[in-house]
Amino acid sequence: MKFFNRRQRMMIGIFFSIAFLVIVCVLGNLNTEAARVTDFSRKNLAPCSSYIFGTDWLGRDMLARTLKGLSMSILIGVVSAAVSAVVALVLGIAAATLGKTADSIISFVIDLIMGVPHILLLILISVALGKGLKGVVIGVALTHWPSLARLIRAEVIQLKESPYIQISAKLGKSRWYIARKHMLPHLLPQFLVGLVLLFPHAILHESSVTFLGFGLSTEQPAIGIILSEAMKYLVTGKWWLALFPGILLVVTVIMFYVLGESLRKLLDPNSVHQ
Amino acid sequence: MKKKIIAFLCAFSLAAGVFAGCGQNQEQTAQTSGVSDEKVQEGLQESTKDEVIVTMPTTSEPESGFDPAYGWGAGEHVHEPLIQSTLTVTNQDLEIGLDLATDYHVSEDGLTWTVTIRDDVKFTDGEPLTAEDVAFTYNNCKEKSSVNDFTMLEEAVATDNTTVEFRMTRPYSIWPYTMAVVGIVPEHAYDENYGQNPIGSGRYIMKQWDRGQQVIFEANPEYYGEAPKMKKVTVLFMEEDAALAAAMSGQVDVAHTAASYSDQQIEGYELFRVDTVDNRGFNLPCVEPQEKDGITYGNAFTADVRVRRAINIGIDRQEMIDNVLNGYGTAAYSVCDKMPWYNEDCEVAYDPEEAVRILEEAGWKEGSDGIREKDGVKAEFTLMFSTGDSVRQALAEDTANQLRELGICVTTEGVGWDVAYDRAQSDPLMWGWGAHTPMELYNIYHTLSDSGIGMAGYSPYANEAVDQYMDQALAAGSLEESYELWKKAQWDGTTGITQEGDIPWIWLCNVDHLYFVRDGLQIADQKIHPHGHGWSIINNVDQWNWE
Repeated sequence: MKFFNRRQRMMIGIFFSIAFLVIVCVLGNLNTEAARVTDFSRKNLAPCSSYIFGTDWLGRDMLARTLKGLSMSILIGVVSAAVSAVVALVLGIAAATLGKTADSIISFVIDLIMGVPHILLLILISVALGKGLKGVVIGVALTHWPSLARLIRAEVIQLKESPYIQISAKLGKSRWYIARKHMLPHLLPQFLVGLVLLFPHAILHESSVTFLGFGLSTEQPAIGIILSEAMKYLVTGKWWLALFPGILLVVTVIMFYVLGESLRKLLDPNSVHQ
Repeated sequence: MKKKIIAFLCAFSLAAGVFAGCGQNQEQTAQTSGVSDEKVQEGLQESTKDEVIVTMPTTSEPESGFDPAYGWGAGEHVHEPLIQSTLTVTNQDLEIGLDLATDYHVSEDGLTWTVTIRDDVKFTDGEPLTAEDVAFTYNNCKEKSSVNDFTMLEEAVATDNTTVEFRMTRPYSIWPYTMAVVGIVPEHAYDENYGQNPIGSGRYIMKQWDRGQQVIFEANPEYYGEAPKMKKVTVLFMEEDAALAAAMSGQVDVAHTAASYSDQQIEGYELFRVDTVDNRGFNLPCVEPQEKDGITYGNAFTADVRVRRAINIGIDRQEMIDNVLNGYGTAAYSVCDKMPWYNEDCEVAYDPEEAVRILEEAGWKEGSDGIREKDGVKAEFTLMFSTGDSVRQALAEDTANQLRELGICVTTEGVGWDVAYDRAQSDPLMWGWGAHTPMELYNIYHTLSDSGIGMAGYSPYANEAVDQYMDQALAAGSLEESYELWKKAQWDGTTGITQEGDIPWIWLCNVDHLYFVRDGLQIADQKIHPHGHGWSIINNVDQWNWE
């Protein structure tokens, strides 16, 4: 650790986490077919050199399934986190710039959604939309924006009091102009970090809602499906079905977290020169 | 400083108190657990005489209680109602025997069934069971039952104390099979809470029901038949993995289990298998796609009868049983294998070359991707299975693998039952059927003129000859006569639902019901179990005994 200063360590963290995630995605998508192939001649194999994660009761290669599952999770995480973030950005800025009434309505909605446990709301939305990929993505997207929206709103309110915005307003610039030209650039770093930090949440919630049976359909190699199927076979000693997918899920989530934290430290003026 | 010392002392004494408390508690729990261990030991020794603990899937717990009007015994999964007695019973060979009834006969036109009943039977509350109670039970079922079909019954009338007349809306020769599953309830003690506190005249009395956990039955000391050998039967509701764990820790005497756990060795337990007609198979919609009321009926690929024939002989059922069921199953060729009304012409031999030949002859030629096609239609379909059912999923996957060899592309998809019925009208679905009544054939193959597109209810199919045989079977004068007609409905030499006929459903296997049974427990001979891995096993629990 002495060889690198903090900034370099952050860069390494970012590099490794991005590399890991990209590798998982690429391998996962190369293994789309392998993840679904069933072969009863190789069912219930413990980890060995040809199937390092073992196989399940349908003779599916757990390594391929895990990678495909994770890449699907990452995809769902990215899509729903991106949608969440856009919703958060628009509402956050709107709350802060459109005046008192809009602000109180939006704040109320934020509080309302934050008041209901994520997973509950997520299950409701997913089931109402007929489950599947669509249900999960929309469900995650609609439940994860409030925390980020609140952050942005607070930031915008603070910004509004700063002299250069006040002056800009006095000069007769429109609200839209101010929001676009002055506020957005200021908010972008925080927004990006918030976006990245939404991924792990989204992924974990996607897998839990699928695990509970309200998400993706069972023939798909989603990580939640893998884990819930593994539960049935744990009692017969097939530990590999849950262990490796579980560990990889945690690693993926940690990688996103490292990425987000590193980005934050690099972009935050307070820590960037340490 | 002084304050700090005092605070420290206070904290110390508090902590000491807490730890002391812990120590005591631990000792106490150790003591009590010692006691309970002894109790358990005693209990085990006692249970070697006349008690038995049986596990069942959580889905077997009757949601509306033990009321025949809401499906107890006479529901989706038929079984003997234990608490109540029935007019008739199904014998070991699944023909009809008598229980409460002493005699029954049907009028020439098939519209009136007259049943005389025993006059010495009492409900467990001491009141005698009369023909009035029988009539009340059936009229009540007709009025309320949503799980079983009673539309053929006009009304039941008690003509005297021991005679009851069933007036029918249409001839229904297999009525004795309905009488074998409807438990007679007491009119004087029946209200909306009957399901929670059932009173009957059967072999057992329901003592206790802890919803979501267990039901305890005790033998009825006043039972009019042979006294039950098992005095107490406890049924625990749990998933298969929990049942396995319960057996491993020696807490239960009979644990239901699945083929995927069949390789487990549990000390002191033996694997017990029961033949079933609990079949799995998939439907093949028999018409070209058409839409009505937002539902698509039919499938362009499976509408070709030669495709259906090729699929039927192109599937190696034994390979499937070995792989998916670890060998615990038998090949199925119809919805009613081994039943008295089963037509053995349904059986086919696995012949992949012939299957390929049929497809070639029908014009389904292999394309560059190895998938056959004809006139722009690809040889492909989606095979659905109910989400979370690992056996059906495995069967679907294996079907897909095997049909791929014939050049047919099958995609599997897990679906919930909320959408499965509608989608099965156009895409094959992995079903599970099997009941102790020929009505099952009717439900699957007979057309329903007033629903959907006027074809069979679960998958589009229509054949007038098949319909006619089944109508005649229902109108037959005797059960024996009706068996022959049910067989003809399957294959009469020229048409039917077999390989040479229209083959609208492909049947794959009958899934053995598996149990881990504690050594020393003698389970009485089982009838072929119907669909449902639950109550059937304890149909004759009164005759079990410990060695």
